[in-house]
Amino acid sequence: MTAIRKFEKPLGMRDSFPLINEKKEKVREIGRLFLRSRGFDFIKTPTVEYYETIGKASAIADAALFKLVDRQGETLVLRPDMTTPIVRVATSKLLNEQNPLRLAYFANVFRAQEQEGGRPAEFEQMGVELFGDTSVYADAEMIITADELLNELGILKHRLTVGHAGLLHSILCSYTDNETQVHELSSYLVEKNIVGFEEAIRLSNLGDFKETKLLAFIDQASNVKSIDDLKPFINPENADQYKMFFYLKELSLLLESSSLSEKVTYDLTLTSEMSYYTGMLFEVFASGSGFAVGNGGRYDGLLEAFDSQVGATGFGLRVDRLLEVMAQVSVDEPHALLLFDEESYGNAVKKAKELRLAGIRTTIQLASSVELEEEYTKKFTKVYSMTAGGGENV
Amino acid sequence: MSELTIAMPKGRIFEEAYILLRNAGFQLPEDLDESRKLIVEAPSEKIRFILAKPMDVPVYVEHGVADIGIAGKDVLLEQKRIVHELLDLKISQCYIATAGLPNTSMNDIAPRVATKYPSIAADFYKQKGEQVEIIGLNGSIELAPMIGLADRIVDIVSTGKTLKENGLIEYEKIVDVTSRLIANPVSYRLKNDRIRELVQKLKESME
Repeated sequence: MTAIRKFEKPLGMRDSFPLINEKKEKVREIGRLFLRSRGFDFIKTPTVEYYETIGKASAIADAALFKLVDRQGETLVLRPDMTTPIVRVATSKLLNEQNPLRLAYFANVFRAQEQEGGRPAEFEQMGVELFGDTSVYADAEMIITADELLNELGILKHRLTVGHAGLLHSILCSYTDNETQVHELSSYLVEKNIVGFEEAIRLSNLGDFKETKLLAFIDQASNVKSIDDLKPFINPENADQYKMFFYLKELSLLLESSSLSEKVTYDLTLTSEMSYYTGMLFEVFASGSGFAVGNGGRYDGLLEAFDSQVGATGFGLRVDRLLEVMAQVSVDEPHALLLFDEESYGNAVKKAKELRLAGIRTTIQLASSVELEEEYTKKFTKVYSMTAGGGENV
Repeated sequence: MSELTIAMPKGRIFEEAYILLRNAGFQLPEDLDESRKLIVEAPSEKIRFILAKPMDVPVYVEHGVADIGIAGKDVLLEQKRIVHELLDLKISQCYIATAGLPNTSMNDIAPRVATKYPSIAADFYKQKGEQVEIIGLNGSIELAPMIGLADRIVDIVSTGKTLKENGLIEYEKIVDVTSRLIANPVSYRLKNDRIRELVQKLKESME
């Protein structure tokens, strides 16, 4: 380890310089207005939570948690996601007051980096959670809201991929012999390791019928435009499975009626390492970022971990990745500069007040403190030089 | 048709992979001037090749600056990057194994293993229930047991010739390795038509 130099930040931490910060604020503003207009209430939760509850329940790997110890010796974590803290608040308090409950957040979360750059250890997330509605309409609302929020942010070239964790599990069960195999195959699907999936099937001794079905499944179910294309893999006699299939069908009709079909594809092999996803889940991709900009889904399982059965669905977007794919936001508001000297200070203050009243951003600055005047004045749209020598306008 | 950026490993695998693509019916120039250029365009197919170190291919793909890439399974296992593994190209077949001097056993107190695959080696010995000390090297791994740096090495074996010439023998085989077609998760969605087409063509030509 070399000594830490004065300019260094902890691994993965980033500064937001004014331009980026403005862009972020803009995203926050647009998102806030948009989500509030759809009936979501914003909340904030503490930055630090207990490891025992939030840390363990969260889907983020233990190694990625920032841990600290409080004075009582309890282990704390910097919140690694927002969903888990919001579930804590909702199940312990807010759901008693309102049910169904719509909450939104814009907050920074923390995930430790092992060694490499390119991934921030702290970043903002914006998202919503809807508690107490297990209907397909609630799930459709999440997908539609995510899509429209991206439109609102000017990100038009995006795609949503929708899957169903429960249905996938059920299909894998019907073409395998035991839970271990299901688990193995799912774990290949989480990484979309098609080679590994196919190899596992070949080594599995499942018999021709099941093997052929599974190979066809990974080939055909990973990118379909219409839910009916999935029908060959559904067993109508399996009531649970058929119900989930029908659910997905209903969902697709709801999305179609919101004219989302263009942007949505279905991938039944889509799954997540987070075991609390029990139903529909989706991912959001936008051209311009190498990583998904967001994801969401139904996570009734997480609520059960907090002793609640009301169900929940939601989504979150990564603000840092939104910034990557958003068109350049130009911040060319008028910005005036008043350069004064000792004599003209009173006038400068008066003039500044007038300008600010007129809505113009105004900086007043003692001229003699500016060393490189040409350089300094460059970023202002208008410069008033109120010094003894200078005229009023430049 | 959107442009596709393919990250290719420089050297031997590049040639094999390039032939594979040509056999799959892609209109690519017969001889790519591979000499010093790092980016090579094939405008007729709207394909752009990035030529990278084999170890770096998954990095380019994970960050999305290349849509797809060709990488050895050894590299994928070692780095565990978030990429989709779409197809086994079955080229540059070899395997990873442990090797050492004949008739030797691991040091009881501090068993040492030299390798350029620290993560694969650590996982392997962990699963065997042995705690070993890993020493990372970048090449000529065979030297380590010969001059007493380590008891064992974990390295790629293709013919076994290098081991033999240096008086080493293979102990355990860890995993088979071939080259894989990998894709960036976002490209996989946004350029799905092109990527699926490429996979399909490659599959057909390999049969």
